Amino acid sequence: MKRFRIVSVGLHLVVSLWSLFVLLPVIWMVLAGFRTRAEIFTDPLGLPRSFSFDAFERAWNTGIAGFIVNSIFVTLISVAIIILVSSIAAYVLARTESRVLKILYILIVASFAVPSQSVLVPLYQIISAAGLLNSLFAIILPYAAYGIPFTIVLFYAFFLEFPRELEEAARLDGCSRLQVITRVVVPLSGSAIASAAIFQAVFIWNEFLLALLLLTDSRIKTLPLGMLNLRGQFSSDWPAVMAGVSIVTLPMLILFILAQRYFVRSLAGLGK
Amino acid sequence: MPSLQISNLEKHYGDFHALKSTSLEIEEGEFVVMVGPSGCGKSTLLRSIAGLETVTSGKIFIKGRDVTHREPFERGVAMVFQNYALYPHMTVGQNMGFNMKIAGRPKAEIVEAVDRAARILRITEHLEKFPKALSGGQKQRVAIGRAITRSPDVFLFDEPLSNLDAALRTQMRVELGRLHAELGTTMVYVTHDQVEAMTMANRIVVMRDGIIEQTGSPLDLYNQPTNIFVAGFLGSPRMNFLAGKIDSVTADQVSLTIDGSTQVLSVPAEDLKHAVSPGAPIRLGFRPEAALTGEGDGLVLPLRARVVESLGRETLIYGDAGDIQSIESESQDGMFALHQPRQLRVTHDDRLDVTVPTDAIYLFDSEGQTLRFARLAS
Amino acid sequence: MPSSSNDALARRMRVAGLNGIMLAPAFSLVAVFVLVPAVITLIGSFFTFGITSSAWKWAGISNYIRAFSDPIFWVSLKNNFIIIFGSIVTQVGIGTIMATILDRGIKHGATVYRTIIFMPVVVSYVAVSLIWMMIYDPNVGSLNVIVKAIGLTPPRLGWLGDPNISIWMVLITAAWANVGFQMVLILAGLQSIPKQLYEAAALDGAKGMKAFWYITLPGIRNILIVAVLITTIGALKVFDFIFVMTGGGPANATQVLGTYIYLQAFNLGNMGYADAISIILLVIALILGVAQLKLSRRG
Repeated sequence: MKRFRIVSVGLHLVVSLWSLFVLLPVIWMVLAGFRTRAEIFTDPLGLPRSFSFDAFERAWNTGIAGFIVNSIFVTLISVAIIILVSSIAAYVLARTESRVLKILYILIVASFAVPSQSVLVPLYQIISAAGLLNSLFAIILPYAAYGIPFTIVLFYAFFLEFPRELEEAARLDGCSRLQVITRVVVPLSGSAIASAAIFQAVFIWNEFLLALLLLTDSRIKTLPLGMLNLRGQFSSDWPAVMAGVSIVTLPMLILFILAQRYFVRSLAGLGK
Repeated sequence: MPSLQISNLEKHYGDFHALKSTSLEIEEGEFVVMVGPSGCGKSTLLRSIAGLETVTSGKIFIKGRDVTHREPFERGVAMVFQNYALYPHMTVGQNMGFNMKIAGRPKAEIVEAVDRAARILRITEHLEKFPKALSGGQKQRVAIGRAITRSPDVFLFDEPLSNLDAALRTQMRVELGRLHAELGTTMVYVTHDQVEAMTMANRIVVMRDGIIEQTGSPLDLYNQPTNIFVAGFLGSPRMNFLAGKIDSVTADQVSLTIDGSTQVLSVPAEDLKHAVSPGAPIRLGFRPEAALTGEGDGLVLPLRARVVESLGRETLIYGDAGDIQSIESESQDGMFALHQPRQLRVTHDDRLDVTVPTDAIYLFDSEGQTLRFARLAS
Repeated sequence: MPSSSNDALARRMRVAGLNGIMLAPAFSLVAVFVLVPAVITLIGSFFTFGITSSAWKWAGISNYIRAFSDPIFWVSLKNNFIIIFGSIVTQVGIGTIMATILDRGIKHGATVYRTIIFMPVVVSYVAVSLIWMMIYDPNVGSLNVIVKAIGLTPPRLGWLGDPNISIWMVLITAAWANVGFQMVLILAGLQSIPKQLYEAAALDGAKGMKAFWYITLPGIRNILIVAVLITTIGALKVFDFIFVMTGGGPANATQVLGTYIYLQAFNLGNMGYADAISIILLVIALILGVAQLKLSRRG
């Protein structure tokens, strides 16, 4: 029994240490936002002497509100497009017996392996040729395109396991193919849809490379660019940078803690 | 006009030939049960009737209308699935009324039809519940109710009772019989359970390898199977078979010998459906209930009891007859099954001599076709 | 001709047409923004051209030859592999340890630990990079203070400024951000192992490490393959951490393929050369993708 206790304490210690390692930078980020430039230089590890919101104000004035609005807009629209077109396409692919469509599915799976880094040059050329450079759609369409293959693979697996009898019953009940999808399949796919939507939303909310490439006008930048902007504007003003990062990160963390069950379930489902 | 007519239906799945020129006519109000081992094509046939499978060639008529290429809902059929296929996101009432809602019927009409079906099936108090709150038997009733509200020309059942436990299955068999009597609608029922087939059908269709082997009333099929497959398929425990050959043929008697036995049996030549010549291999068959204990006239089997199942009002004995082996028995071990409608005090290894009266013996030719039906007392 | 075969044909045409309509939006987006650009990249890799000049000059395979004789390309490739192997060891390794402890090792507080460790997953890599840049900062950073406190000397050029250690600092940052994801993935795999299996193993005398070895590891084999491949592909595509924290420096010491492509294409204007490196990256990614398919099918 005693040996069991020691093992148990040891295991707690291991996870506690990593948890602490994860937590400390976050805590430190928030505290740094409340400190002054001078304080942080003289005593990097100390606590703020007074809770001043000056740094937050400096950070906020770089236009974070606008970045947040842009990010929300881009994320919502992209995720909506991804879910809508992927679910319909995955359903057709999962139900077809056509060889041509099976090949199409393999093509989509293959496109999942194409890293966005390898198409930077033509992507830039296509977007600028279409005159979409510095429009939010310049980023929404590629985001949708990069989210679709993985979402199709996810939904495809889900639809393969979806009970066929329910669809057959619906067809006997008089549903057209579209009605089978809208009245029976979609209402029963809530968990898969939520899973895919959360995953894509987290990805798009944080996406940096394509935004860097395609959004140069500061009015339409998304949050990751906005944060990089902080670094550019306040090169050694760490309190302002950390205040800005806190403004962006803390709401996300709170949202995550409130809805963590869904986040975890969504991401855990990806391994299956 | 037949309620359902199928002519020369063919179905290929790639290289697999699922239905081989299948034809069948079903009259208005019949309860037809299709049975056969798995993969025999019975489910494919049912699903083709429903329109859930497209057929390679052939035609399907329902009440005289050619529905071969119609959408499922245009065919006037309703189907009850093995695992119920209830919509989990709809209440019982919504499940039952869904087809009418899709068809755009007025609300009052839907409510009335659902209430009527619920009354027939005695599930009125469950109408507001969701399927997951119901037991298996209740779910199956809802699935049947959904079929009733469609008021179809033909009901299709795809092994509807196989997910239920034994007691519920017996109860639902009775209820389905009552429902059929009440509605009087044509019903086509697929099962692999020959008890369901025997108890519910007006007519049984026995299928194997995409071919209809025989159709007929349960007792006709039981008493006069057209071949050794049908003879073995209906009845539980199944018919006992023995290998033998024709010994001699005279004008009015045919004598035969049985592998492993010195006995010579004689049957009247007029019983045989076609002529045989001496030396031809044959198979003998007898039902487990046809054997009598004790010695007498007929085939004598010196059994040693190996397994005894005492069920109270009946006794099943599986016994070993030494050199005389049964072939194609359920357990594949050469033992004979014996059924006595009374209690027998027999235990393992007891010696038990039984006699099968010559009149109770079926004969099959080398092709498996029936050569002689048992002459029954009835 | 009997009308029924026309009916059958019409029915099939209707289905095919509807299929086309339903697939078109997804497929055209993927085609326009993924597949077609991949093909254009391949074509572009045989030309020289710049952002501003629209003239493409045929270059044959000279862009590829240039890559293989470019020391910075090799440094980038080497760094990608350092990050791939480093990430597998740190992220999948620590993730597995954490997941195993949370699954069966401790009775209380597992949810709290899981929430904390998973938290960085929702934080953008740019934010993560900025937080860690401050930690590594030679003037205001806490790492220097801690290292000095335990009596060691911090690197003279700074944690990110020293070309010998900067790539490892990036690796630590990536582990901080990603261990939670791997942990949750593996935890889901662990929880799908039936409890009876452990009970049966206990009756057979396997407990503790033996149970881990004979029950747990085989039970999560497939999930571990998925975790390793997700990590590998993620590490191959690494960009944000490097771009924000070091910009590929000091002196290209932390350059990876992703940042080097960006540098060549958009800072130096060598788009054809960038395309050639892109194709090399794409080929590596496709090989890994096929490996993923093969391995996960076997399971």
